[in-house]
Amino acid sequence: MDPVTTLTALFTLAIYSFLYRDNPVYRFAEHVFAGLSAGYYSGLIFQSVLVQQLWQPLIGGKLWLIVPGILGVLTFARLSTKWSWLSRVALAFVIGANAGILLMQQLHGLVLPQVAETMINMGTIKGLLVVVGVISTLMYFYFSKPHKGALGVIANVGMWFIMISFGAHFGYTVMARVSLLIGRVQFLVIDWLHLVD
Amino acid sequence: MSWTAHLTSFDRRWIYLLIALSVILPMFFPVSFPERVTEQTRSVYDAMEALPEGSTIMIPFEIWPSTLPETEPLARAAVRHAFMRNFKIVSLSNIGAGGPSITERVLREEGDAFGKIYGVDYVNLGFKANYLAVLTGMGTSIRSIYPTDHSGTPLDSLPIMQTVDRYDDVQFVFAISDNATIEYWISIVGARFGAKIGAGVTAVMAPKLFAYLDAGQLVGILGGMKGGAEYEKLINRPEWATRGMGAQSLVHLVIIAFIVLGNIGFIASRRNKAAE
Repeated sequence: MDPVTTLTALFTLAIYSFLYRDNPVYRFAEHVFAGLSAGYYSGLIFQSVLVQQLWQPLIGGKLWLIVPGILGVLTFARLSTKWSWLSRVALAFVIGANAGILLMQQLHGLVLPQVAETMINMGTIKGLLVVVGVISTLMYFYFSKPHKGALGVIANVGMWFIMISFGAHFGYTVMARVSLLIGRVQFLVIDWLHLVD
Repeated sequence: MSWTAHLTSFDRRWIYLLIALSVILPMFFPVSFPERVTEQTRSVYDAMEALPEGSTIMIPFEIWPSTLPETEPLARAAVRHAFMRNFKIVSLSNIGAGGPSITERVLREEGDAFGKIYGVDYVNLGFKANYLAVLTGMGTSIRSIYPTDHSGTPLDSLPIMQTVDRYDDVQFVFAISDNATIEYWISIVGARFGAKIGAGVTAVMAPKLFAYLDAGQLVGILGGMKGGAEYEKLINRPEWATRGMGAQSLVHLVIIAFIVLGNIGFIASRRNKAAE
């Protein structure tokens, strides 16, 4: 047996041992996984961001990259009580830039096309259902007035739409989780133990 | 203890055991259930079929290793279909941890099976940090974001990249994703740059994406293992997804049975309490 495959299989079994009860073997596997992931990701970001996108272009002549470089260093100011306020400069830049980019992109790319699609198909049963579903669901989350009378009826309809949506999500989620289990069992039975071709 | 109390309070480990058996046994004694191809899967297939032979498509692998059992079968099915139609594939990944190596493995294995040549028929651009900048930048120039491919070869030296430098140069994007990046492909690459996009996603994500399908922002959706199995059926190459669907269906039946039993127990115990 391939030792790497065997090691992977043993860690898989260690993780699944939690299904019986919490135990030291499970916790060991969990900590190894967390540590490895953190280490791997740190190395990856160091190489792909600091080396490839900062250091190499910088020594190649793109001196303006000193500015984002300094901003990056400022984020570590949080480690000092005295200088932690400096990290807010970098955070303000990140939040401002992301908000600016994402706001327009989300509005034009997601919100407006979805709102438009909700309105233009009202002539069909499906379109009407979508409109009723959207409005009643929004009303369900309107808490400025008690859910009584007409508002109560509409909110109740919205609750049904939400429940049906939860059902669909739950069904798909079960399928997703079972798929992962199937994948692991296929690995154990086929790749590790070679019990089936 | 009454039978109703048993139904609502028995050890959940029995459920785990039954689920495990439902997954393991079909591997030794295969079971199969009828597989109906859904409209959203057929739409992706039809979109690929509608392209002329030799077209260039983009297949981003936005996937983490943890979801491979779901995403790899549908990724392989799409890559196979593309190679069967002699499409050229430009691939990349915005997921640094594992994305590029998964891309490399799937493309190399499928490419070898179809006699395709790296750099001529397909290319793996690899990973670059900051997906917002990557997706936006590739709209004007892929080379500005990826001067080289995953292994450091300059794009200008690869035959496949001689005619490709932005989204306008690819005829279809099939984004495989297990995370929110699929919405950036829709809102940036689809809405802003006008690319036709199909999605191959994990089952957890599929329900949310139906809104984009209805709005015409997605051509079609392959949802999880079932989507993969449907696509394998369409291209007439049943593989891992098809194989897994037998166990999948069996587990679903077991879960449905437990939901019914649990509800019977709950209703009966509530009636008993009311009677007392």
